Amino acid sequence: MRSISIALAVARKDLASEWRTREIVPALAQFVVLALVIANFGFQFDSHNAPAIAPGVLWMALVFAGLVAFGRAFAAEREQASLEAMLMTPATPAAIFAGKALAAALLLVICEAVLLPALALFFAVPLTFDEVSAVLLATVGMAVLGCLFAAMVARVRARELLLPLLTLPLWIPFVVIGGQAVQSAMSGGSTTNSANGLLLDLDILFVVLTSLAARFVLDD
Amino acid sequence: MSTIVGTALTQRFGAETALDAIDLAVDAGEHLAVLGENGAGKTTLLRIVATAARPTSGTLQIFGLDAMVERRRLRARIGFVAHAPGLYPALSAAENLAFFCTLQGVDRARVAEVLDLVGLADVAGRPAGKLSRGAQQRLAIGRAVLHDPPLLVLDEPDASLDSDGPDLLVKVMRGRTAIIATHDHALANRLCKRTLELRRGRVVGVPTRLRVVH
Repeated sequence: MRSISIALAVARKDLASEWRTREIVPALAQFVVLALVIANFGFQFDSHNAPAIAPGVLWMALVFAGLVAFGRAFAAEREQASLEAMLMTPATPAAIFAGKALAAALLLVICEAVLLPALALFFAVPLTFDEVSAVLLATVGMAVLGCLFAAMVARVRARELLLPLLTLPLWIPFVVIGGQAVQSAMSGGSTTNSANGLLLDLDILFVVLTSLAARFVLDD
Repeated sequence: MSTIVGTALTQRFGAETALDAIDLAVDAGEHLAVLGENGAGKTTLLRIVATAARPTSGTLQIFGLDAMVERRRLRARIGFVAHAPGLYPALSAAENLAFFCTLQGVDRARVAEVLDLVGLADVAGRPAGKLSRGAQQRLAIGRAVLHDPPLLVLDEPDASLDSDGPDLLVKVMRGRTAIIATHDHALANRLCKRTLELRRGRVVGVPTRLRVVH
């Protein structure tokens, strides 16, 4: 119970800081819209191939936006030397990590709230519940993995280079399965539910693994 | 009974030895000043005592607990002021303390008491990033005593503090065991009964007992 209240306090603190400084979300929202504009001009699409192209554009935009959002989650703490202040309390590293991941995931969800309707508008594809749930499920797994590696590389000078190198290989299952789920949802297919079930399994696996690893990454 | 007992504390960073077999004993309620030039090993020693770092070798017992094993339990009983204030610039002074109240498991009513103690009650609602460097240091000191710890570890807490700073340190150290790193011999003389001088990671001479000035 105490761990949950700590995680929520950490997330609330990160979101309040972002709300006041507006460092990440406006830039990310601008980035995803620009990515869609470029894709809109770069691809020759029509009503037949749009459901095949749009998921690729969606996941490309999400992956790069995620790298920025999760990278900043721990870089700012290290720069302010505030991570150590948090760790010098009896709060468990897993609770602190969960709060950081939750806040970073919510920031990405805000970008998705811009990205998904814009995608539907630019590519004239349907925006369905299955599509949104696939993106949200993938966001959870991507957030915990992204934040874990962001915490690992935060004290390294070349962190902007290292973070994608470490994170992208482990994000591939989310992009592949999420891509299939979104494609199926856009073209009215029936495989979305099984893909979403698989995404949920991956989420549970990585939430447990990253919570166990958090102590060694943050505190030791 | 000693609150802190460190034996042969050694810290190496690659080929460099930052601390070389330091023995340390601090009694309950005692105030120890750690003196030395830049790079002498003061911060390294204090970070080990605060459980923020693990020594390469040596043993450390704090309140009778093994500091390498019982870090989380000990952190509830240690207040640490590090070299950097480590505050959240977008949050107000009060919000910074309220956040750490949650992490420490302390009632939020303590925020007002601590702001009053460190002389920041008037700027409680101001973002920490807009406070002067001295006020930020006061806030960091306030955060260190938020949970009323019996042991304070203070790494150059006088940095950026104004002329009233030593009075604040006297107030927060009263009734607690404290270990403080400073360059200021006069401050050490005022705050501490005993001093430990480091040079290149080693203790210089024998620990000295200082004249106490009230």
